[in-house]
Amino acid sequence: MNTKCRLPLLIALTIALAACDDSQSPNYTGMGGDNGGGLPGGDTVNPGDASSGIPPGPRGNFNPDNCDYTTLAANTVYFDFDKSTISGSERGKLEAVSEWFKANPGHSLFLAGHADKRGTPEYNRALGERRALAVREYLVGLGLPAAQLYTNSYGSDRPAVDGDTEEAYAKNRRVEIGIIVEK
Amino acid sequence: MNLSHPSLRPALLVFLLAFSGAQTYGQVEVSVPTLPRVGLSITGPLAGGATEIVSNDLKRTGMISPVGSGSGDYLASGQADESGITGRLVSKKTGAEVFNQTFTGRGRLAAHQFADAITQAVTGLPGFAASKLAFISNSTGSKELYLADIDGFNTRIVTHDHAICGSPGLNHDGTKLVYTSYKSGYPDVYLIDLPTGSRTRIAFFPGINSGPSFSPDGSLIALTLSKDGNPEIYTMSLDGGSLTRITRTRGGETSPSWAPTGDRLVYSSDDRGSPQLFISSASGVSDMDHLVTGNSNCTKPDWSPGGKSIAFTARIGEQFQIGVFDVASRTAQLITTDGGQDPAWTRDSRHLVYSNNGRLRLLDTVSRESLPIPTSVGGCGEPTVSH
Repeated sequence: MNTKCRLPLLIALTIALAACDDSQSPNYTGMGGDNGGGLPGGDTVNPGDASSGIPPGPRGNFNPDNCDYTTLAANTVYFDFDKSTISGSERGKLEAVSEWFKANPGHSLFLAGHADKRGTPEYNRALGERRALAVREYLVGLGLPAAQLYTNSYGSDRPAVDGDTEEAYAKNRRVEIGIIVEK
Repeated sequence: MNLSHPSLRPALLVFLLAFSGAQTYGQVEVSVPTLPRVGLSITGPLAGGATEIVSNDLKRTGMISPVGSGSGDYLASGQADESGITGRLVSKKTGAEVFNQTFTGRGRLAAHQFADAITQAVTGLPGFAASKLAFISNSTGSKELYLADIDGFNTRIVTHDHAICGSPGLNHDGTKLVYTSYKSGYPDVYLIDLPTGSRTRIAFFPGINSGPSFSPDGSLIALTLSKDGNPEIYTMSLDGGSLTRITRTRGGETSPSWAPTGDRLVYSSDDRGSPQLFISSASGVSDMDHLVTGNSNCTKPDWSPGGKSIAFTARIGEQFQIGVFDVASRTAQLITTDGGQDPAWTRDSRHLVYSNNGRLRLLDTVSRESLPIPTSVGGCGEPTVSH
């Protein structure tokens, strides 16, 4: 899909949605907005815990479903079964993403983690999250600013390919790199 | 008596196991055990429907054989009308009345309550016929949350989020529901008060907020959050306060389930490579007790309300099966052969509801008999049961 034709569609969709139901318009930032969600009450946690890697950043004020996944589609990172480590063969894709990012300043990226359908939904959601966070950490290591790298996990609920073959599963164990098109 | 009837074989097996220490097998051969038989005699304007419901409920326990009113070890008689059922149980052996009670649940519920009272009186175990199921179905094209009676009747959709919903958890009495929804675009945890239908988003930190599970007293939930890095287990109160971190690993932790005493949590962690089951204190003290199940891939544990067993999903080759870990002996065994995942105990700690290929099923962990739960929608998964 040509990315240039996405904007009118997006506007049309936005107007249509707004016309349908104003009261139900989703708030994509969470109640805590850019401060990162959060809740009242005491939190016993040290947020800088070294054992857990780089924490996800706050949720941005954009609709994650409207990201452009086409431009960097060739850079989708694939993973081994049950794994969230980025294999040597996939690292070149992230180096290319890093080059693209530096050539297109001002953009933010949305890293969408996915798992194949095998296994329990909860485990797959956590696995997709670890994959997205692993890609984010790798890109931060390449010098990209963490504040412009957003993440989410869709677990096994948004397969790229349907089917029960190992070939289909391999294409679904992935992190897609989206470009955030509206702020 | 026809010994080839499949439902009798498990009872015989249990008998052999129970008595093999005290008796020789030769003696057991002649003393064939039978399930306690309960004769049903229900009258009144709603007698037909009530008789069918009670009979099916008793049969489903795997511990009682419902028979006609003329025979049986017990006689269950009752009067069924729009206001409910007045039910009475008499032991035919002693002639004594066991109970005489009025059950006022609406619709089919009164008959389920009568069946549960009979089950409790005859077997000593709580019945689960009045329990509610919550589960996920994608039959509308998106994963939404549903409720149903445990016999599959009264299936109804709860959410219209047009997003991804998952991991429902019911509180003890089935009045409150927690679940994960991508309604905001991200996985957040929501609380629904079922009597009023009011819904509150209670966890929406950066990263994933997922897999909520009510503590036995209903005051806390345990859940997975990735706000501090990789997915870890936390507990928090329903108003969003008192957040306590339970795990602290380099792996991912999911699917917490509480011990009935409320002091410990079992969950899955892949900190050591493939996902395994662990128990930790629910107070936030760093301790991880690895449950050795003999399977390299174990997820979605569910601690039985009686406390003695933990059911889980095991990956065996390309298939997923239900396993049960015995807490006292620290041994595990697989109890399905035809596939299954996401097990949830019923209140008798003997039966499990689970999903297999988009259908919900009820498994008797003693007889290993598995029955379909005929919900009116397909594409079902992640069942949970009120106790």
